[in-house]
Amino acid sequence: MRCEECSDKLDRFVDRELSDTEALQVQLHLEGCPECMDHYDFESHLKRLVKHSCECDKAPEAFREKLRQILS
Amino acid sequence: MAEPAAQTAFAEEALTHLDTLYRGALRLTHDPDQAQDLVQEAYLRALRYQHSYQAGTNMKAWLFAIMRNLFWDRFKGVRKEDVSLDDVGEFVLYDKLRDEGARPESDVLDKIAASEVVAAVDTLPPLHREVVLLVDVEGFSYKDAAETLGVPIGTVMSRLHRARQQLQKSLYDYAVESGIVRPSGMRQVPQQ
Repeated sequence: MRCEECSDKLDRFVDRELSDTEALQVQLHLEGCPECMDHYDFESHLKRLVKHSCECDKAPEAFREKLRQILS
Repeated sequence: MAEPAAQTAFAEEALTHLDTLYRGALRLTHDPDQAQDLVQEAYLRALRYQHSYQAGTNMKAWLFAIMRNLFWDRFKGVRKEDVSLDDVGEFVLYDKLRDEGARPESDVLDKIAASEVVAAVDTLPPLHREVVLLVDVEGFSYKDAAETLGVPIGTVMSRLHRARQQLQKSLYDYAVESGIVRPSGMRQVPQQ
């Protein structure tokens, strides 16, 4: 696999959306290519950053209780 | 109407997804009160239509779909123009930062506050924002996200791609404005 092809598939690799065969091909390329591995680490880190940043918001406990009352 | 015990069980299971719905509603409306109204309405509608939910399928996706459909019903007047997202080209933050001599993870990502990331997500148009919420924040598969949004998987992928490009551009602009990186070359990182 060339770096270009790896780059094209990086989003889907990070999102775990590749087939097993394609994911293995990307994994093998990453293990032999420090540059693409750095890029992969960065993309994974960015995805985690978005997740953790937005996950900070939780429904207020009073609202949860209010809903429980309404729905029961 | 379902039996009381069945209704209670349904409500209890539905409430385990409250944080996901509330987060989604908050990111879509930008307003805690509107988010609560939207989520409450979504739960009432879910209860009313619980017979249409197939036990064992993805309840989180089903509830999210109800909530986002209510959101779009309320704001459908702006739906059409909302679709547009400025074309930022193939903006790859990693390449940009490397070209400018920064170490992308340790010099930049580690120094961006969560509030800035949320602000960048909030500036995305809603149709793009909701894909990021589903896939990146809530961990939906492309298939589940496509079913939730009622669009083909290809649309999920293209919206996600464009949203991420825009998100990376926003984070880069923030990093430049805040002095985390200098566009001309080396980074400058103010430390407390």
